[in-house]
Amino acid sequence: MRRIATRRLSQSSYNREDEGRAMVSPHERLVNLALYLASRTKPVSIQECRDAGLGYPADADDAAFQRMFERDKDALRAAGIAIVVDEDGRYSVDPDQSYAAEIELDDAECATIRALAAALVNDPSFPFAEDLAVAVAKMDLGPFPDEPVRSNLAVADPGRQSAQARIAADAVSRRKRLRFGYTNARGERKRHEVEPYGVAFRRGRWYLVGRDVELNEVRVYALLRADALEVETTHPKNPDFEVPEGFSIEDYLVLPFQIGSERFDAAALFGPSAAWRAPAATEGKGRLVPRHDGSVLWEVQAASPRAFAAWCVANGPGVVPRAPETAVSAYRTGLEEVAARHG
Amino acid sequence: MGRIPSSLRARRMLALIPYLRRGATVRISDLAATLGTTAEEVTELLGDLVMCGVPPFSPDALIDLDVQADSVTVLADPPALDRPLRLTHAELRALLAAIETAGVGADDPLARKLADAADSASLEHLARSLRAHPEVGAAEIYSLLADAIESSCKVRIAYLSARETEPRSRVVRPLELVNRNGVWYLVAFCESADGERTFRLDRIHNAEQLDERFSHPVDPSRSVVPELAGVPTAVLRVAPGYSIDNRDWPGAEVEPQQDGSLRVRLPFASPHWVAREVCSALGAIEVLEPDELRAEVREMAERLLSELPS
Repeated sequence: MRRIATRRLSQSSYNREDEGRAMVSPHERLVNLALYLASRTKPVSIQECRDAGLGYPADADDAAFQRMFERDKDALRAAGIAIVVDEDGRYSVDPDQSYAAEIELDDAECATIRALAAALVNDPSFPFAEDLAVAVAKMDLGPFPDEPVRSNLAVADPGRQSAQARIAADAVSRRKRLRFGYTNARGERKRHEVEPYGVAFRRGRWYLVGRDVELNEVRVYALLRADALEVETTHPKNPDFEVPEGFSIEDYLVLPFQIGSERFDAAALFGPSAAWRAPAATEGKGRLVPRHDGSVLWEVQAASPRAFAAWCVANGPGVVPRAPETAVSAYRTGLEEVAARHG
Repeated sequence: MGRIPSSLRARRMLALIPYLRRGATVRISDLAATLGTTAEEVTELLGDLVMCGVPPFSPDALIDLDVQADSVTVLADPPALDRPLRLTHAELRALLAAIETAGVGADDPLARKLADAADSASLEHLARSLRAHPEVGAAEIYSLLADAIESSCKVRIAYLSARETEPRSRVVRPLELVNRNGVWYLVAFCESADGERTFRLDRIHNAEQLDERFSHPVDPSRSVVPELAGVPTAVLRVAPGYSIDNRDWPGAEVEPQQDGSLRVRLPFASPHWVAREVCSALGAIEVLEPDELRAEVREMAERLLSELPS
């Protein structure tokens, strides 16, 4: 059995009294600061933190130290440690805000989170993998399965989509404007400045929803088509905008046949054998009306008759458009053309 | 591990501290599994942790661990932070995004419980600004299958396959839940088919966990994409202007033609799947070969037409 000698060697050469001692790495300094603040019974001043031998370079001038200390506090807050400042400018850790409240999850809930974490922690297209791993560790849900599950939420350019979704999600949280290039479906590229309101994933794509500043409209952008995302850096700690009262991202996530400016009432019938699939397939859009024969009528707004008919075919068998007549006609003529071409 | 930012490395170290209780001997592989990382990385993190402590940084003021190759023994309680930290907004966001992919919405009891471990205001904000999956009603099936996989219990499912019109009951040994392009699949050994099969969760009508248990195979399949080598290839013509950007066609080779159309060579394991892809284009895609697939498409189109009321 191999014994790791790190500790013994390190401690003998790790003389905290020695100002010229070996460098303390930034992550060790962060943990030292967290332990120091959490272990004190009284708040401490910034000077006490500097003098405590936590690992701040002895040769740093006041301004450099101050910057380093501010960054460290931000990093610890991002780890969940609530560092508070009293009226004298002294720092302490608020235990009530720092430690997790106990929550009770049943076996199935634990299994659900473990299974999801096993799949998504190593998924290059999941933008929050690091946070998920730390969250699961904090919750002490027990070990992940022995072998990582191979999962890929977004098959197309997963790393880039994930990185952009992460930037966008952080900008949403901090309410910072985003600028990026965007290539639309016609291949036209243009710069956009957007106030990001939300981030969404569906069918292998991450999307940004936000107000386009130039157009003054809330738009949905596929992050796969975006490039060179930049977050507004002026006043980094202050929000750039307010999200409108009542905004819900759900209102902007539409089904494929709802894309477009036209709006009309459409309906499709899920036959008795397909009715059980209606709630999931319709994604909460529109209204499902159960009928006596076991079928379900789906009433929903649409923008394109042909796209609505295509959706019915893709989600069949047993899903047939009923209205408007243009959608029924698109379904009939489209399938007749398919049959004729393959005759 | 050197390229991991210091802040993240510190977060992982802080997440480990509550597991280090005096007198405990913990397997490094267990810590690695808990943190979703490798044993090598955990060994490095523990090596860093023993350098940390509080003033005066004498040996008794440092985190005191005896790190072995495969385990760590905790010689003294850490000087502070020995309880799990509250979930941050970003961590709650990660958890909510993860459970939403399985159909658990922000109004689900599980989401509310998770929010209790963080900040309830975060849940309200995230409910309005984050959607990881809009599917309704999938959570129950996912949860049952995840539980069955962990407890190695067989499951009876009613499954609607691509070539059938009614769900058919079968007993499976669930092995893994895998996501591809936003769709969850169950990889399982199907006792009816006497082989490993992949099932889309949104085509499982209902599922029932059985008392009968099974042994996990040593090396289950890890892919939900059928093995493409040796399967037949379809040749398709896609009409000019028709977009196939959102189609998930594994192994497809796309060749633009002078008239603006696309010629696509598409390996396929299921002719029913290709037929539905072609039918849903309502005439914009044509199968050029093989003939058997053309016949399959024609039959499906005629069957779908017959569903229209006369």
